[in-house]
This record gives sequence, C-alpha cells and structure tokens, in this order.
Amino acid sequence: MLAILRPDSWNFPLFLHVLGATLVTGATAAAFILAVSSRQWPWMRRVLARTLLLATFPAWILMRLAGEWINSRENIPGSPGWLGVGYIVGDGGLVLLVVAMILGAVGVRRPQRNWPVSTVAVLTGVYFVALIVAMVAMTGKPGS
Amino acid sequence: MDRYHWLLIFHVAGAFLVLGGAMVAGIFNVAALRRERPSEIVVLYRLTQIAARAITLGMVVALAFGIWLVADLDFVKWSNAWVIIALILWVIASALGGAGGRREDETRRFAQQLAADGDTPSAELRARMRDPLTLALSWGSGLAVIAILAVMIWKPGH
Repeated sequence: MLAILRPDSWNFPLFLHVLGATLVTGATAAAFILAVSSRQWPWMRRVLARTLLLATFPAWILMRLAGEWINSRENIPGSPGWLGVGYIVGDGGLVLLVVAMILGAVGVRRPQRNWPVSTVAVLTGVYFVALIVAMVAMTGKPGS
Repeated sequence: MDRYHWLLIFHVAGAFLVLGGAMVAGIFNVAALRRERPSEIVVLYRLTQIAARAITLGMVVALAFGIWLVADLDFVKWSNAWVIIALILWVIASALGGAGGRREDETRRFAQQLAADGDTPSAELRARMRDPLTLALSWGSGLAVIAILAVMIWKPGH
C-alpha cells in the first residue's frame, strides 16, 4: 500500500524503482550467503561471481535508473534527508558492487586465496544493511 | 513519524522479504539447475529453504500490516477493487508457492538420497529439477507477487 495518492504518470517509474530495490536487496542477500558458504563449498565461488554480475548489478541498474526517473517526475522541493539517504545508498552501492564483482572474479581465478571472497562477504553484508536503512528512510520519509 | 508511516514501513518490509526472498530462491534454483552432483544440488536446495522461510514470514507480515493499514485509514475501504484483487493474488501466490515448494522438497530429499548413495549425476534427478509443473508453480508464485506490487502501486478502482 505504497503512498496512497499520486499522479498516474508516476506509477510506472515507481513500480520499476520498488521492484528493482526489492530485487537488488534479494540478490545482495544471495551474494552474501554464497560468499559465506563458499568457504565451506569452494565451487560456490563461480555461482557468487555470476550472481553479482548477472543478478545484483542488473537489479541495481533498474533500481537506480527508475529512482532517477521517478525523482525527475516528482520534482521534490529542497533536499529532504530521506532522499539523501537514497542517493548515498544508491550511488555508494555502485562502488561496493563494482569492487565486489572484481573480487568475486579474482576469487574464481585464484582459488587458493580466501581473502577476496571474505571481502565480498563483508561488502555485500554492509550493502544489505544499507539497503534496509534506505528502505526504512524512503518509506517512512522522516522529517518531511 | 506518525502511525501511518510506521505501519507502512512494516508493510513494505514484508514486501521486501517476499520479493527479495523470491529473488534469492530464484538465484539458488537456477544455480541448482546448472549443477550435476547431487550433493551440490542438496546444498543449493537447503539454501533455497532459507529464502522460502523469509518469503513465508514476509507474506504474513505484509498481509497483517496491510490489513491494519486498511482498517486504520478512512479513505481506503475493504470494498476497494485493488484491496480485493491484492487479497486474491495473495491467496494465489501462497497456494502456488506452497505447492511448488512441496514438490521441490521432494526433489531435495531425492537428491539427498543420491548424494548418500555414491553422489553420481542422475538423469532422473535432472528431470525432476526441470519438471515443468514444479517450475511453473514456483515461478508463477513469483509473478503473482510482482502482480501484487503492481496492484499496490496502480490501485485500480481507487
């Protein structure tokens, strides 16, 4: 029951943004689980690298582009804190995801090294928490 | 924040658990389809069960806080078309997901048995994992949940 009243033209970008946000959260959680599990099952490193590249990153693109689309439609006055949180988590997340994708690929190519996959576990864990914080901020819109 | 926004946060958190959990389940499911050894397939199916629990919890949380929101807001009525459609889709998604999950559970138990009996690739396991009905039930449940999100945003009949 997302925000009751809004112009019809906002619906499609909002749908894509929320769908992208839920999918990037799920894909990040999956990457975290795979990174942690790959210490016990090394064959999961390939699954982890594919997940980051083919699920987490495309979902991030959907969330971020649709977020920019809906923001251009809404034309929100000022710079409310909840919107700032969304931008920080969105744009900061790209840096984390790119580093995670590179380290995920290193983990596949250098199976004797554990640190790349351990770092991916930390990065995806941090990003998952950040996504939850952004969800709370953007839904509750505190201070507006 | 007022009560409406707190209720909305928990309602949306439920939706995130459902759609995020469906994404996790989908990723592990696709990964399992690409593996041959039963022991590896068992591990991925076990991880899928974590996602299934998150989806179940999310379905309950989203429904409970959604009902609370409808009861709390003056301008939303139980008779609104979008509320009724969302509830029907919730039942459909739960039924499809439950049936698909039970069939996948049987496949996991079969894979577990094969893993204990030599862990060699099996054509029957492969066929069970690619069973069109099981896949249709599980992926259909995911589509029904996406349809609920669309109904929540467009609110037809409001």
